[in-house]
Amino acid sequence: MQLDTAKMLAKIKNTQWALADIDWDAPGAELVTGDPELYAKLKVFMADLMWIEHVGARAFAAMAKKAPDDTLAEIYRYFHAEEQRHANVEMALMKRWGMLEGDADNPILPEPNINLRLVIDWLDTYSDEMPIEVLGSVIPSLEIALDGALCKFLLDTVQDPVCHAAFEKINEDEARHLGVGFHMLEVMGHGKLHQLLVKAAGNLLNPKLIIGIAAYLPLLNRMRDNLVKLGLKEERLYEAMNKYKRIGGRTEQGRRNPWFQIISHQSAMVVDRKSFYHVPVDALVRLTDFYPRRLLKATPTWVKGLTWKTAA
Amino acid sequence: MTQYLDKAPDAGRRSRKAADPSAVKVVEVVIVGAGFAGLGSAIQLRKAGITDIAIVERGTEVGGTWRDNQYPGAACDIPSNLYSFSFAQNPAWSRGYSGSREILGYIKGLARDHDLLPLIRFEHNVEALDFDGGEGVWTVTLTGREPIKARSVVMAQGPLSNAGFPNIRGIESFTGKKIHSARWDHSYDFTGKRVAVIGTGASAVQIIPELVKVADKVKVFQRTPGWVLPRLDFQSPEWAKTLFAKLPVSQTAVREAMYWIHESMALGMIWNTPMTRALEMLGNRFREAQVKDAWLRRQLTPDFKIGCKRVLMTNDYYPALQKPNCELISWPIANLSEKGIRSVEGIEHQVDCIVFATGFEVSKNGTPFPVHGLGGRDLNAEWAGGAQAYKSVQVSGYPNLYFTFGPNSGPGHNSALVYMESQIAYIVRSIGKRAAANLKYIDVRADAQKAFNVDIQKRLAKTNWNSGCKSWYLSADGFNSTMFPGFATQFARQMANFRERDYRMV
Ligand SMILES: Cc1cc2nc3c(=O)[nH]c(=O)nc-3n(C[C@H](O)[C@H](O)[C@H](O)COP(=O)(O)OP(=O)(O)OC[C@H]3O[C@@H](n4cnc5c(N)ncnc54)[C@H](O)[C@@H]3O)c2cc1C
Ligand SMILES: [Fe+2]
Ligand SMILES: [Fe+2]
Repeated sequence: MQLDTAKMLAKIKNTQWALADIDWDAPGAELVTGDPELYAKLKVFMADLMWIEHVGARAFAAMAKKAPDDTLAEIYRYFHAEEQRHANVEMALMKRWGMLEGDADNPILPEPNINLRLVIDWLDTYSDEMPIEVLGSVIPSLEIALDGALCKFLLDTVQDPVCHAAFEKINEDEARHLGVGFHMLEVMGHGKLHQLLVKAAGNLLNPKLIIGIAAYLPLLNRMRDNLVKLGLKEERLYEAMNKYKRIGGRTEQGRRNPWFQIISHQSAMVVDRKSFYHVPVDALVRLTDFYPRRLLKATPTWVKGLTWKTAA
Repeated sequence: MTQYLDKAPDAGRRSRKAADPSAVKVVEVVIVGAGFAGLGSAIQLRKAGITDIAIVERGTEVGGTWRDNQYPGAACDIPSNLYSFSFAQNPAWSRGYSGSREILGYIKGLARDHDLLPLIRFEHNVEALDFDGGEGVWTVTLTGREPIKARSVVMAQGPLSNAGFPNIRGIESFTGKKIHSARWDHSYDFTGKRVAVIGTGASAVQIIPELVKVADKVKVFQRTPGWVLPRLDFQSPEWAKTLFAKLPVSQTAVREAMYWIHESMALGMIWNTPMTRALEMLGNRFREAQVKDAWLRRQLTPDFKIGCKRVLMTNDYYPALQKPNCELISWPIANLSEKGIRSVEGIEHQVDCIVFATGFEVSKNGTPFPVHGLGGRDLNAEWAGGAQAYKSVQVSGYPNLYFTFGPNSGPGHNSALVYMESQIAYIVRSIGKRAAANLKYIDVRADAQKAFNVDIQKRLAKTNWNSGCKSWYLSADGFNSTMFPGFATQFARQMANFRERDYRMV
């Protein structure tokens, strides 16, 4: 199923929204703040969620530079900004729920967990050099598994109507992100199969990509652990991951994309708790807890652009 | 090919009118526009003995581009010694690259010294041009005035003279101040104001450093970052001014040297050569040296080949962006709202004033006003698929009509005036031929024009402009009817050669 990217871009431009479109002072905040147990859990969760938007954002920024044509480049430019918007909205929700530390004008950003930091570090350093096939195939998986699944959890857990209003808008954006994501997945399945395979194998040997994979796999397991800790069902994460295989594998082209195959297999292993996959990856999760923070790069300056304010 | 009638459909009525003894006389040459091109044409026509000239100018002053673009920081990015007429050199340029006001002063000086003011009819806005093949006369229709009849018309209305606010969603809802770079409002005081600048092209990079000095906050909205190269500006030393005044040949020598420096840039800018890489490396180094933050550097890194769009020559743009009261915003603009600009990251950037440095309406696919030639043929319609001309100055079917900065005459690397001078020389020659032989008209042959365009498009295909980047040089469907694919020297050679066999003389 080929997507008409020009129509998609027009649709994106026609359906823009801003933080100011949401009534942040509407009643309902007490549904979160009045429940200490939920409040505590949510505070950690929201911080992670906000940072996860950045994973998508940074990947889209890289795609904007690699896109095969101007229309797609422009679409990715919008998607990059939209992920920033999602992070801004999540920050505004945290503000509404009194979860931001520091004073109102200069809130201190919550720290992401170490695995998120490692992935963001990697994206910031290497994503611009990664081949489009890799990024283009990983993005839908990442959007489904992290962005998508977490939003769903949130809506299942939180009753605050403002949160629901905000995520209704966010989910509309996400639906388009996925539409384009799966379109690219198929586009990259065009060509001679053996050539696609040789290229994929070559990329897999790229040490920079290996570092990226080593950063990404433990993040998935970490998020699973965190969700379980929060009392959420890990099955929801797995359902989301299966969706990647289901939608991405709809067409011949999608299935021919070697990266789709690799990612689907990896997802299948993540979902299978008994798989040997979890032995080394869980070990990595534990290991990364000891990762010296001083080895991390300074937080990239684009983070400073985040704000909970509707106007600047 | 189609045979066009010599008479326009309504020519009968017109010629009766023309026969009327009380009718206005037919001027030898009407020039549309009193910018560099219009005034330069008048000077050279007079030198060639053609004195019956009327210059129609919609403004109230001469100067064109340099009268309109008076925004803070407005300056030329070609050295003044080269951005002036070779037949009217100015020893007194105060700087290497002069500011807008000084250039305007030079143009006013041209008009004064060559006694052109009596020829100029200010506040005369041309609305249409119609040719009567039977009489060999152009009718110049003016807004709210009697039309003028002319044997020949020189269109010198400027390639970049029509500026308007861009069609951004919600622009009408913004209640703050709106200023276009080419229509600066000098009465507006920026001191302490919050300002947004939309656009990061040639004008914006000159305006921003000036605004940052006075405004409280400047937010720069960028769509595509351009290539920035250092500019070697300097104050002209007194001894040089004295030397140039006493010994004009020394200024000519400097002018020559600058000409060749710019010509050599063509190697990198027009075609993809090792020089392109060298210039890009220079651009990259310059950015690395001037911009500390990696993310900001990434935002400012162009993703097209140098030369594909106009190269920005500035030393103070990058530093200005990094001032604490300045911010570069590369998020796309979603819409304008009552109080400011909403960009796609969901935030409303509230400002007191928006400066639109969004460029000009360039007529790539048409003429700025209707032009009807032999048999009423419509130039706008003929150019719908991309403008084409013969050597940029004339179009088959539109006799005695001359263009400055017509199709494929644009300089990417050298002074526009160098190109202009060779166009003017050609025009003077052609008009002179008609007058000398007392011809009704001279018209380019359609096949000559066609052959010319086949050749030029073939040459354009090999240039950086046509290498896949979008720019105002190209029409929406990627046709390049603006740029000349070669050195200024080649353009001059093209214009120096007048081939009579390419014309139909009637
Ligand atoms: C901000 C800016 C910076 C530039 N910098 C450089 C540079 O550094 N180097 C370079 O080589 N070139 C530069 N240019 C290009 C510049 O346009 C040319 O160099 C040159 O000034 C063009 O002169 P012109 O006489 O053809 O047109 P203009 O100067 O635009 O003059 C045209 C005149 O025609 C009048 N006119 C237009 N339409 C009508 C009408 N319908 N009826 C009556 N009158 C009309 C206008 O009012 C105007 O006075 C720059 C342009 C701009 C806008
Ligand atoms: Fe998102
Ligand atoms: Fe997304």
